[in-house]
Amino acid sequence: MGTMKIKTTINGKKVEAEVEPRKLLVHFLREDLNLTGTHVGCDTSNCGACTVLVNGKAVKSCTMLAVQANGKEIVTIEGLSKNDELGPLQKAFLEKHGLQCGYCTSGMILTSFWLLKKNRNPSEEEIRKGLSGNLCRCTGYQSIVESVKYGAELMKEKEEEREVAVR
Amino acid sequence: MSTLNWGERELAYDVSGFVSGKGHFVDDIKLPGMLHMTVLRSPYARARIVSLKGGMSSKDLKARMASVGEGASSEAGLSIEPVFATEFVNYVGEPVAAVFAEDRYKSADLLESIEVDYEPMKPVVTIDDALSMGPIHLGRKNNIMAETIKGADFKDPDSPIVIEDTLENERISANPIEPRGIVASFSEGMLNVWISTQAVHSIKEGLVESLRNSELLIHVMQTDTGGGFGSKGGLYPEYVIAAFASMKFGKPVKWIETRREHLSSTHPGRGMRGKVKLFAEKDGKITGLRGEVMIDAGAYDSGIASFSPGFVAMQMTGPYFIESAQVRGKALFTNKVPQGPYRGAGRPEASFLIERMVDMLADELKMDPADLRLMNMSEKPFTSPMGLKIDGARPFFESAVKELGYMTEVKNSKGVGLSFFVLVPAVYPGESARIIIRDGRVRVWLGGNSHGQGHEVFVKKLVNEELGVPERLVTLYRGDTGMTKTGVGSWGSRSAIVGGAAIVAVCRKIKEDVVKIHGRYSTESLLSGSYDEFINNELKMPLNSFGANLATVEIGKMGNVRIKKCVAFYDVGRALNPDMVIGQIQGGMAQGIGQTLHEGLFYNDEGQLITSSISDAGVPLAEDLPNFTVKIAENRSSLPHGAKGLGESPTIGVPTALIRAIEKASGKRLRRTPVTPEELIS
Amino acid sequence: MHPSSFEYFAPTKMEEALDLLSKYKGDAKIMAGGQSLIPLLKLRIASFPYVIDISGLNGMRGISEEGEYLEIGALATISDIEENEMVRERYTILHEAAVQIADPLIRNRGTIGGNLSHGDPSNDMPSVAIALKAKMEVIGKEGVRLIEGDSFITDSFTNSMNEGEILRRVLVPAARGSTGGCYIKQKKSAGDFSVAAVAVQLSLNENESIRSAGIGLTSVAPKPLRAIRAERFLEGKKISDSVVKEAAKIVVSESDPSTDFYGTSEFKKKVLERITEEAINVSFERALVG
Repeated sequence: MGTMKIKTTINGKKVEAEVEPRKLLVHFLREDLNLTGTHVGCDTSNCGACTVLVNGKAVKSCTMLAVQANGKEIVTIEGLSKNDELGPLQKAFLEKHGLQCGYCTSGMILTSFWLLKKNRNPSEEEIRKGLSGNLCRCTGYQSIVESVKYGAELMKEKEEEREVAVR
Repeated sequence: MSTLNWGERELAYDVSGFVSGKGHFVDDIKLPGMLHMTVLRSPYARARIVSLKGGMSSKDLKARMASVGEGASSEAGLSIEPVFATEFVNYVGEPVAAVFAEDRYKSADLLESIEVDYEPMKPVVTIDDALSMGPIHLGRKNNIMAETIKGADFKDPDSPIVIEDTLENERISANPIEPRGIVASFSEGMLNVWISTQAVHSIKEGLVESLRNSELLIHVMQTDTGGGFGSKGGLYPEYVIAAFASMKFGKPVKWIETRREHLSSTHPGRGMRGKVKLFAEKDGKITGLRGEVMIDAGAYDSGIASFSPGFVAMQMTGPYFIESAQVRGKALFTNKVPQGPYRGAGRPEASFLIERMVDMLADELKMDPADLRLMNMSEKPFTSPMGLKIDGARPFFESAVKELGYMTEVKNSKGVGLSFFVLVPAVYPGESARIIIRDGRVRVWLGGNSHGQGHEVFVKKLVNEELGVPERLVTLYRGDTGMTKTGVGSWGSRSAIVGGAAIVAVCRKIKEDVVKIHGRYSTESLLSGSYDEFINNELKMPLNSFGANLATVEIGKMGNVRIKKCVAFYDVGRALNPDMVIGQIQGGMAQGIGQTLHEGLFYNDEGQLITSSISDAGVPLAEDLPNFTVKIAENRSSLPHGAKGLGESPTIGVPTALIRAIEKASGKRLRRTPVTPEELIS
Repeated sequence: MHPSSFEYFAPTKMEEALDLLSKYKGDAKIMAGGQSLIPLLKLRIASFPYVIDISGLNGMRGISEEGEYLEIGALATISDIEENEMVRERYTILHEAAVQIADPLIRNRGTIGGNLSHGDPSNDMPSVAIALKAKMEVIGKEGVRLIEGDSFITDSFTNSMNEGEILRRVLVPAARGSTGGCYIKQKKSAGDFSVAAVAVQLSLNENESIRSAGIGLTSVAPKPLRAIRAERFLEGKKISDSVVKEAAKIVVSESDPSTDFYGTSEFKKKVLERITEEAINVSFERALVG
């Protein structure tokens, strides 16, 4: 079967590509664009290792076709750091040991990023429920929850800095 | 042409890369001309292959699996797993054929072109089936894979209290979030292998043996490994197939496991049924233990199944001073995927048997379970009838009762459980390490491979302590058979012990080298020179340590368990990095809860796996889990760096404390994991 | 993990979608959010030569009260419903069901239309639609028609739309007077499918007796069930412990759960009875204030 042309924005860059309709977004990102920070951990849309942002919302890129990215803005884990400078959540995950093997980490961070955009002060319960589409087998989640809380603080600080700079 | 251009940075363990997507996992590898392999697997638990057309199969590669890695067995004989099924298939998920294509989608398409006719046979699914039905393997007399007796026979003690029960642990899938995977690339006479593994040397030895080619030059390199928990310690058929195919086609071959393949075909752990009889005096003194351990070993002797019964039996008196004990063990063939190591690998099973029985004895005697436990402990070191060496246990556990807040909890609520255990880490036979000093930097390799434990953290610390080199100048590289001649692997709570000891030993060797040249040691003279030392640091002594857990729970109206507290108190020796130690323990506690409440691999009467997703398999979500309280005691070991084991402590201690708490809260006698809401709903 | 090949269309207008559907008939599959369909395609449990992605159709994502109905576009995502303030306040049952569907990431793409029409007996929205006495507005080349919520799903993975029809909107009778509802979903572990779930919607007369009751059941039969005898039993009665208990018993007698991975039939019935009691009580409390 043939391919289709798509135009999409990935991590702020415009991308045009020919893709087979059946190709999953995660494979397009990993194989066609070499954005290998997005992972595959299951085949039943449970684990969330493949989480990306589509038009600002966290979704599972293994449960979306690459052709469906046409006209959309995608952000992957690679898009969260600018010029090699880590974003606040990335820093928080490192500092609070929110990872061990590192495989679920991209998805955890992107889901948390979206959660914190919606809710700047999530409770522990809100964080745990918010992460129910992302599995981690190493940490027992406690350090991830702490990372998200700490990331929320860092994000707020960053916004305040920005406000001060604007003033 | 087909080699990988990963530079030094890409080959080092570097946690900081993971937060920006810069890991180097096996599926990230792309090589020119690379073929994607897809495996056709048996849809039957037991069948005869009548005909097979298409794909690569046993017609092309008639080989058998080598037994390497944790609990390797040298006497598997008739029951070694074939790389590709030959005349019969013996479990759902057994590799039958493989296809290869340039693109993973096309490879999946090709699978549909293979034609197989099977003649289904009645499968042996359970331990009872294995005992009552004929052998699954031609040429065997029965379904007993291995049999053992630990401890000397004894005359039944003349004690008034005798309790007996049968206890079970369901099989569990390890389910690291990164599934297994390999890239094999044969080029210019060398087979290069990149793999997600706990042990590059096991992979190398296994490939050489399975391919029956001792001349073959193999270079095995570890990629970032997204968790293992035992499941990535040994050799699997897909690795042999990928290596063979790369040599046959002269192209790189990649195979990445899907999650459903992981559930059906990666060696799961547990799968144990035990019968225990305890003899005791009225005051609680345990006078004897008789036991029988049966392992649901699966279809072949590929994992640790033939090792398991003896290993479980050996630990069955736990930390207790029991002078008469004998345990018989059997590993039994079933038409299921071979059993393998999963975090604990026999330790949690043994602890489950003794701790459940001690709790039952406490109920029988109407004694407090903590008191009963303490009174059966020795102040002095003791060797159990099965040969388990235990330090004087009582002082530690007396302090554990206090540290865990047991007395307060028992006063305040009904659903409280306490557990004690002794951790027997896999110290034997030690570990290898290599250090190269060049250009003012220290480059380190270990024989065993980190898969999330953070080996680089203790390596940097120990190199700094031994050689005075700032940590930023020290790099630990991933496992690489090109850099270490021999090596063992990461499992059995061993890495900080044996890897740490190897680092200390190789550092001291280098220090001697510096002294030989400069007359005395200084960091400056070290870093200004070039040194290269390798050591195969043998360790044989037991290095057991103690741990205790407490759990408190409530049972909801629908039989769901709400965990209120989950507390650990472990002797971890010297904590080389307390944050990492606590992180390891928290993660293990989550897995202990998983085993107790959620996890299992379930088969129906036809031997079909009915657990069909990682969620079905019960891997806990953040929502399922409480916040953990972890307390550590730091009693240094006899090793120079003072480390003890800890990785498996929580999967040993949590299930037994938690199931007791549930038992108390529900008032129902609980004999198996996982405990389901259905058992608990009133 | 790798779907079979298919041809893909992403129409932006309903007419185009209907044209494609009539052209390819049984060979075509409508995809909305794809959160149930793509997993099936990935595992090759299902395959279709043509996939018509309707997620780009205009004007099908709104949620608003228009006259006697709350109108929900079939392409409203579960997150849209979850985050809608009016739904949260006035149609609690819908909000409650939404937040319990799968996980937040799936909810960001999954749609109410997909959840309703897919026909998986463990999907939540069909039983909510039954309890709310909602109507499905479906459109085909022959025009628009309404299908009652309780006759929309006819069997496992089977709905009552004709070949060539697409679910366009869900019409929920507007909440008027004392009404209240509740969705309770019981699972073994957080990530599981439900053991059983129940949707209850009650409206009260001035004397607090029940004017009308809607009860829909999830995961306790090959399809979502309307507990019609229990509804009739409740209607006209005042709520008391014994009435609630009796109603829950009737609900159980109307259910037909099978023994499977999630538990035995007996266990599911026990759970269903308890969650039904609770759901009726909570719905009644909510109706009193609502």
